[in-house]
Amino acid sequence: MKLDDLSQNLPIRIGTIQIIAFVLLSVLGARLYYLQIVRNEHLRDLAERQRIRLIPIPAPRGAIFDRNGKLLVDSRSTYNIVLSHEPIKTINPADRLEDYAAGLGLDRNYLLERLNVIRTRPEFETMVIKENASQSDIVWVESHQLEFPELQVELQPQRNYPLGKTLSHVLGYVGEISPKQLEKPEFQEKGLRPGDIIGKGGLEQYYDDYLRGKEGYRKVLVDSRGRVQEELEKVPPQAGQDLVTTIDLDLQLAAEEQLEKSVTKRGMIIAMDPNNGEVLAMASAPSFDPNVFVKGSATPEGRKQIAQYYTDEQRPLLNRAIQGRYPPGSTWKIPESVAGLEQGVITVANSNVTCGGGITIGGKFTRCMGSHGAPPLSYAITKSCDGYYYRLGLKMGIDGLIKMIETFGYDKPSGIDLPNEKTPQTPKTFRSTIEKRYGGRWIDIETVYASIGQSTVVVTPISMIRAVASIGVQGKMYVPHFLKEFKEIGAVGDPNDGTYTEAKPAFGFQHPEPRMIPMTPEQNNLVLKGMWGVVNGGGTAGKIRIPGFDIAGKTGTAQVAALGQDKGKNRDHAWFVSFAPAYKPEIAVIGLIENSGFGGDNAAPAVRGVYTAYLAKRQPLPTDSQQPDSKK
Amino acid sequence: MVAVLEKRSLRDFDWLIAILAISIVCFGIWQIYNAQPEMNLWQKQIIGLVVALVAMLGIAFTDYRRIVDAAPVIYGIGLFLLLLVLVPGLGVKLNGQTAWLNIPLLGRFQPSEFVKIPVVLMLAKYFGERRTSSLTFKEFMIACAILGGPIGLIMLEPDAGQAITYLPLLAVILFLSGIKVRWVILSILAVMIFAPIAFWVGVKVGKIKPYQVERINVILDPENADPRGFGYHTFQSIITVGKGGLTGIKGDTETSQSALKFLPEPHSDFIFAVAAENTGFVGCVSLLLAYALLLSRFIAGARDAPDRAGMLVIMAVVGGMIFQIFMNVGMALGFLPVIGVPLPLMSAGLSAILSTFIAIGFVLSVRMRRFVN
Repeated sequence: MKLDDLSQNLPIRIGTIQIIAFVLLSVLGARLYYLQIVRNEHLRDLAERQRIRLIPIPAPRGAIFDRNGKLLVDSRSTYNIVLSHEPIKTINPADRLEDYAAGLGLDRNYLLERLNVIRTRPEFETMVIKENASQSDIVWVESHQLEFPELQVELQPQRNYPLGKTLSHVLGYVGEISPKQLEKPEFQEKGLRPGDIIGKGGLEQYYDDYLRGKEGYRKVLVDSRGRVQEELEKVPPQAGQDLVTTIDLDLQLAAEEQLEKSVTKRGMIIAMDPNNGEVLAMASAPSFDPNVFVKGSATPEGRKQIAQYYTDEQRPLLNRAIQGRYPPGSTWKIPESVAGLEQGVITVANSNVTCGGGITIGGKFTRCMGSHGAPPLSYAITKSCDGYYYRLGLKMGIDGLIKMIETFGYDKPSGIDLPNEKTPQTPKTFRSTIEKRYGGRWIDIETVYASIGQSTVVVTPISMIRAVASIGVQGKMYVPHFLKEFKEIGAVGDPNDGTYTEAKPAFGFQHPEPRMIPMTPEQNNLVLKGMWGVVNGGGTAGKIRIPGFDIAGKTGTAQVAALGQDKGKNRDHAWFVSFAPAYKPEIAVIGLIENSGFGGDNAAPAVRGVYTAYLAKRQPLPTDSQQPDSKK
Repeated sequence: MVAVLEKRSLRDFDWLIAILAISIVCFGIWQIYNAQPEMNLWQKQIIGLVVALVAMLGIAFTDYRRIVDAAPVIYGIGLFLLLLVLVPGLGVKLNGQTAWLNIPLLGRFQPSEFVKIPVVLMLAKYFGERRTSSLTFKEFMIACAILGGPIGLIMLEPDAGQAITYLPLLAVILFLSGIKVRWVILSILAVMIFAPIAFWVGVKVGKIKPYQVERINVILDPENADPRGFGYHTFQSIITVGKGGLTGIKGDTETSQSALKFLPEPHSDFIFAVAAENTGFVGCVSLLLAYALLLSRFIAGARDAPDRAGMLVIMAVVGGMIFQIFMNVGMALGFLPVIGVPLPLMSAGLSAILSTFIAIGFVLSVRMRRFVN
């Protein structure tokens, strides 16, 4: 120390400052050690996560065809205007509301709603604010890239339903996955994220996993404002598989035309191949346009239309063929006849049961539409004798009826490859309710009603055609289905790295073993004879007879309200269930016209329209020449 | 300047200090390049270094005692410059602070960086007499007054970060001028007790602005701070430092935190984070050791100083530098609030490098005269 001034321990004080300096530097060194050595891995991950983004590349959804290769659904390329997440963190989208609304021609309220949705979703890359952008929208966004870097144009294949309202209940539609669905594990397991397009309703929903394909993505490097700096990896998308359905578009159009021509324009028609369960047509009226759901949700008019679909009393969104439940009326007599024979209540040799013009139970008379004496079974079917079935039902008893319900599968859904199929409701369903109401005992009058398909019986048309069609094919009940084939889709990507997705093979419907209805050929023939007579033997549907093409069928007139009040909107539902040709069926058709009156007058002609369309395009098969009568 | 070339001067010149300081600046220039390779900041810094070296040599070869004698004049010029900044039309406003003057040809210049030197000289002149007694209250008040003028003007800019860097100068001078140890302990205790209270009261009466509160909260509770809001700087700096690991990222400069603009102000306030990302623990510890060596050499100079004024000048420089290093690196390592204090010798900025080298010039000047008398 050169300083001779040693007052106040100056060297010690200087030393103190030196020590403080070293201590401070050591603190920095310790913290440095903690961050760079101890926390290195974690912080490196954080850095990577914020600079790596996955930008999805949508997979084209598989197209849907009819059995003859006619296009039913495809996807078109459209452009969406999207808002990317990163920049809007730092801006207040509300400030841009006016700009967006004016520039893109969007409704302010809709936009506000959309922007609020964005704030509640922490993890997303982009969010659509305008679908189906026009050329001028795209130009506007691109020319305002400096002011609004958060807006981007994104190519999006959009689902297109060229046939509009045709077949819409079967096809369903697609839409953005809902927040509710996202919470469900079955959707999470598939790796679905907000904004993903999934099938909603119909085949689009049922076969979504195959139609949707596998989304690809671009792995990119972004800067702090989310701007892409470099593409690191690209995993190509794998398109969804094309679906070939069993639908015959010509029959479908014919069926829809029949419903359109019907009295109430409400009802349904199913055409099915009874030999394997392939559904050839399934029409439900009134119908809806799936395009409204796909394109309309972004516009006020579209959303109004969607809301109207939901509130319409005519229920256009209901697929009446599988979701409508109606009292089967006299169509119920076909399974009941088979069950009566099977259970031994009647026999082929002696199938006569008294009609008596009606029946009196507990002092109350329930009439038959005619007076048929004591007809045999086939005559009872042909003339739809209620009195016969009142007594047949009583002889079978409620247990016998329930056994029949189980035999024909009315206690379960048919298993058709559509979502949200309803199960019929039958005395099996209501037994405990009725018994509770009447002191623990089933009552005969309910048996009487149930034996003509009223009161405690409501069935879906699909369950009815499935059961009745089996009579034509020796009791084989097939699972109705639309899937004919999913086409193969090739592999994508490089097999040597992570971008590879292997090919998906073609596959068809996995036919379960048909359910067998136990009956002897004689029993089968007896019922068939009655059904043949309905159309060809002076029965209730005699007016729809097609010479040379024998239809076997059964009419049904299902009461909606009590006698005397069955007018106007409470008129009876008209049924007709059938197959043809009667002794070697190629096609089964069921029709139901809501609140239209007699089955033979309303439903049967509609069904005939479908047969006519079928015959118009039917190839003269070699089997025709084997029929001895028609050749000569 | 003939004297400059005297052999004795060259012999007494502390080459180690100069080489260490220049090495740190060169390391800094490399990091400025890493931070913003597409900008010419690193080239500007080289020019700044050359200018600063000339200034340093000029001061080093001048007898500091003559300059200390002229301290009142220099102090007056300093105050005048700070006043000029506040004259509307002359001061340049950046990020809400009017802290710069535009000088033709040279560009922007920040007086508050330089005025530390007149303040130190003024204090050294006043406290440079031999002393045998403890610090008196009158002396304490005079020291505060010397500091008060510049700090007041800087707070008007307003640049609290810069103003804070003046406090350690006063603390060091007072500590070395015989302030009683009991006062030191008392004032440390007082700060520990009253700083949180003052902070609380300041928040309550609204004197401390919400963004300042947030910056403190980020430090106190980094886990719950919004990493995209007020915590952004701290969060990104921690990530950048941590990412460096033992030896730094190698070659992968396109994905660096500064290249992708995640790290804000990478060339100035957060230059240490850039160094940490690029050179890792090894590089950073080397840098801290370099600082430690440089400061030790300064302190050795203070011990050898021919008079009290020289000792005080050096120790004030030491105090100012260690304070700035600690504040800046502490901020980059996420345990001190984000205050715009540059890292001496590292951060880009002509004013900062020039003023630091002028300060080193004084240290060298004192050191060269260690064999005199």
